[in-house]
Amino acid sequence: MSSTEPSQNKTWELSLYELHRTPQEVITDATEIAVSPRSLHSELMCPICLDMLKKTMTTKECLHRFCNDCIITALRSGNKECPTCRKKLVSKRSLRPDPNFDLLISKIYPSRDEYEAHQERLLTKLSMSHSQASLVNSITEGIKLQSQNRPQRSRKNHEENSNTSNSNGNTENAQNGSSGTAPAAPKDGSSSMSNPTPSGQSTSNPASVRSTPSPVPSNISSVSKNTSTTKRAKSILTSERSEESESSDGRTEGENSMDTEGEGEPLNPNEIELVFKPHPTEMTGDNQLMRALRDSSVRYLKTTANASVDHLSKYLAMRLTLDLDAELPEAYRLLNFCIYVAPAPGQFVPLAGSQTLRQINDKFWKVNKPLEMYYSWKKT
Amino acid sequence: MAATRRLQKELNDIRQSGLKSFRDIQVDESNILTWQGLIVPDNPPYNKGAFRIEINFPAEYPFKPPKISFKTKIYHPNIDEKGQVCLPIISAENWKPATKTDQVIQALVALVNDPEPEHPLRAELAEEFLKDRKKFTKNAEEFTKKHSEKRPTD
Repeated sequence: MSSTEPSQNKTWELSLYELHRTPQEVITDATEIAVSPRSLHSELMCPICLDMLKKTMTTKECLHRFCNDCIITALRSGNKECPTCRKKLVSKRSLRPDPNFDLLISKIYPSRDEYEAHQERLLTKLSMSHSQASLVNSITEGIKLQSQNRPQRSRKNHEENSNTSNSNGNTENAQNGSSGTAPAAPKDGSSSMSNPTPSGQSTSNPASVRSTPSPVPSNISSVSKNTSTTKRAKSILTSERSEESESSDGRTEGENSMDTEGEGEPLNPNEIELVFKPHPTEMTGDNQLMRALRDSSVRYLKTTANASVDHLSKYLAMRLTLDLDAELPEAYRLLNFCIYVAPAPGQFVPLAGSQTLRQINDKFWKVNKPLEMYYSWKKT
Repeated sequence: MAATRRLQKELNDIRQSGLKSFRDIQVDESNILTWQGLIVPDNPPYNKGAFRIEINFPAEYPFKPPKISFKTKIYHPNIDEKGQVCLPIISAENWKPATKTDQVIQALVALVNDPEPEHPLRAELAEEFLKDRKKFTKNAEEFTKKHSEKRPTD
């Protein structure tokens, strides 16, 4: 290492190749060495455009070479000095054409056009592959960011939850303060016991720091909202609600998606919420099953993202027959469902049984709201 | 544009060279005049982190020098709080069109690794560097821990 020490100050005088190459043995016998044109590249290259010299011009004073076009542009741009060594170049007259050098290049590269075309292709290929790589990179980054945001949203909701119900608001706030969003938070825990209003306000603070688009609604409504959700939430692996309770509540699905199980666990990124609706054309109102189902035909589910379409149709068959029991003829007990996802209105893509919900969500459903899927049934 | 073509070549050369001290070069396809990358110094106290820099090339490149700024905060006598860095090789008076970006980057890495207190941008850090090296190293290490980015693992 010590041998490189003196040259360190002048590192920029050496090319990368010169810096990294391994030292070569001195040749003392009659060994012949073939030099690849590639290794000559730095000698035949214009230091301005980094291409092979074209219509070579040499500086009279310092003997540095450039393409005619490049050095003329350099002089015009106001730098009246040699682009390689900064020696004074008064004008074009400080340069001389160097046809011998052009001849030399044409001897080394008899098919120069071909060579340049090849270089060009290489260049575009390289930048193409890199832009593709960076695209893939940015997509994965985006997915990562999104999945980071999701649990955070549900955590925010959960903070409201736990605070208004006064259960463990204190610890929640303390956690919040340590993450640097609400410095005065731990104080509120004690006062919240006597009066829920200030604690409600204090929890709206961290929410606004996290730049949520809409402010937390008034305290009273948020209290009632939260009690209703805790009452409603059932914590089984697949919790589900029927449509009526949904509409009576009058809240949008988006808000529901942030609700947690009342225990206050943030929405697990491995869980997926989905809305299950009957297929609008294949499951019309006069369909026998539809008549039997009536209001409970739309299903809201939250389940693990690893569940497959097969799991879903099994669940659906079980659930529907359970709900209907006596009303349904025996033949319908072994229903076979076909499940679709609708990436655009009116467009239904049938799904293979082995696809998991995560795959479907990633492929068809890029927006951040519960996945909507449709079912129709077929007799077997 | 001449600048675009030359920069495309330089970018490919640098990426292919597999430089250890300058990684993760990101260039917006629509604008090759702005590069971002990660400086990975080898010398203490900066060898515990990585520092993101941005290189801005003027449209007149290579006839005008590029500009470099640090996006990551760094405790360094030659780099100020705004991320401006004083690098002689790209100063207007020293610039040569024949200078390539990999040389600029190597000069920058060398400067990060070995501060030059004789030409400081932050006089107080230069003084600390010269008079109380222990304290400087300690401060710089803490600052690096706090503000720098993670070093690439490979």
